[in-house]
Amino acid sequence: MAKKKNKKAKFKEKRQRLLYLHGRSPSVFSDILGYTPIEPIDGYRVEISAEEQDWPYHTVHDAIVDGWQVVQFPQLQAPFDDSGLDVVGYEFILQKMEEFDR
Amino acid sequence: MSTVTDYLLTDAQVAQFVVTGYHLVEPDLPAGLNDGIAAKLESLQSNPGDAITDAVPDLWQVLDHPAVRGTLVSLLGPDYEVQGHRHWHCKQPDSGFMQWHQDSTNSRDLRLNRFLGLYYPTDVTPDMGPTVIVPGTQYRNAPTDRMATYTNIRGQVPLVVKAGTVAFTHYDLWHGTAANRSKYKRHMIKFLFRRTKQNQAPTWNHDPAALNSATDWNDRDGAGDPRNILTFGNPIGVSQSDHYKERGIRRQVWDYLTGDVPLEAIDA
Repeated sequence: MAKKKNKKAKFKEKRQRLLYLHGRSPSVFSDILGYTPIEPIDGYRVEISAEEQDWPYHTVHDAIVDGWQVVQFPQLQAPFDDSGLDVVGYEFILQKMEEFDR
Repeated sequence: MSTVTDYLLTDAQVAQFVVTGYHLVEPDLPAGLNDGIAAKLESLQSNPGDAITDAVPDLWQVLDHPAVRGTLVSLLGPDYEVQGHRHWHCKQPDSGFMQWHQDSTNSRDLRLNRFLGLYYPTDVTPDMGPTVIVPGTQYRNAPTDRMATYTNIRGQVPLVVKAGTVAFTHYDLWHGTAANRSKYKRHMIKFLFRRTKQNQAPTWNHDPAALNSATDWNDRDGAGDPRNILTFGNPIGVSQSDHYKERGIRRQVWDYLTGDVPLEAIDA
């Protein structure tokens, strides 16, 4: 029985799933304005869609509750010009390590 | 017979353009014109670049339609110029999406002196790889590289339009395309328009009392008058800090269009 389990494990490996969320503010509780999932699957691509958007999370906190870990918070100490506008929202990068078939 | 005057924008429409950075026009074109242009495009063996209007002269009928000219006069003045650069974008079946970008380099200009007109000769369905825009992003000074980690953005608008539609878009508006998963080519002709003289007065259907209405804090999302549109419009729901900055910028742009503010020389 144990032998069979080991054989199965050989064909699994942990990979990093990424999620780029652009928050309305630097708070993890603010609504997100941008949603980009990156799956660790060969040939995977994300794309701009013409369909209605239906994201699984409304906030970064929602994603954390679902097991995602924040690996990069928005950089708030970068030089900036407070009279201007640049990118949309504040970028959080999250990861989730999950097993994938080899 | 309709004239350009009949199609001048209202104060509310100009305010919406200042806020969102786009305005759609569906001109009542002669029967068969769109189909004829589409057929001609289908027959082209190569992209003529700026000479697309030589290859398809009927495109001038679109640009000369009073509904199209009415928008151009409203936003750029009666002496607007159709610039020499234009381009036929043919999105092939099974072609992928195009990442968000702003045209040219990121040196945003608050003066509204040029913008794009995107003409679609056929209906565009969601699976045909429509142009997708992000309303309100036209005042952001962001290089295209910084947009590479965005894909879908709240409030983005796919230009799923009827044949003959002309979408006027602010030159600096963030835009991209969806993938074309249909069996049809998706055609779009891009034109560029430019102001040649600064406004001395509003060139649209302007009411001098346009900004006199009271601020309506109870119907911020449903604002229909120019003052409240300029004050409360927030197409993608950006933060309070950004929204307050946008308000200031919009007011500068509005004042510029009304001719109230003396400005430096217009770019060539």
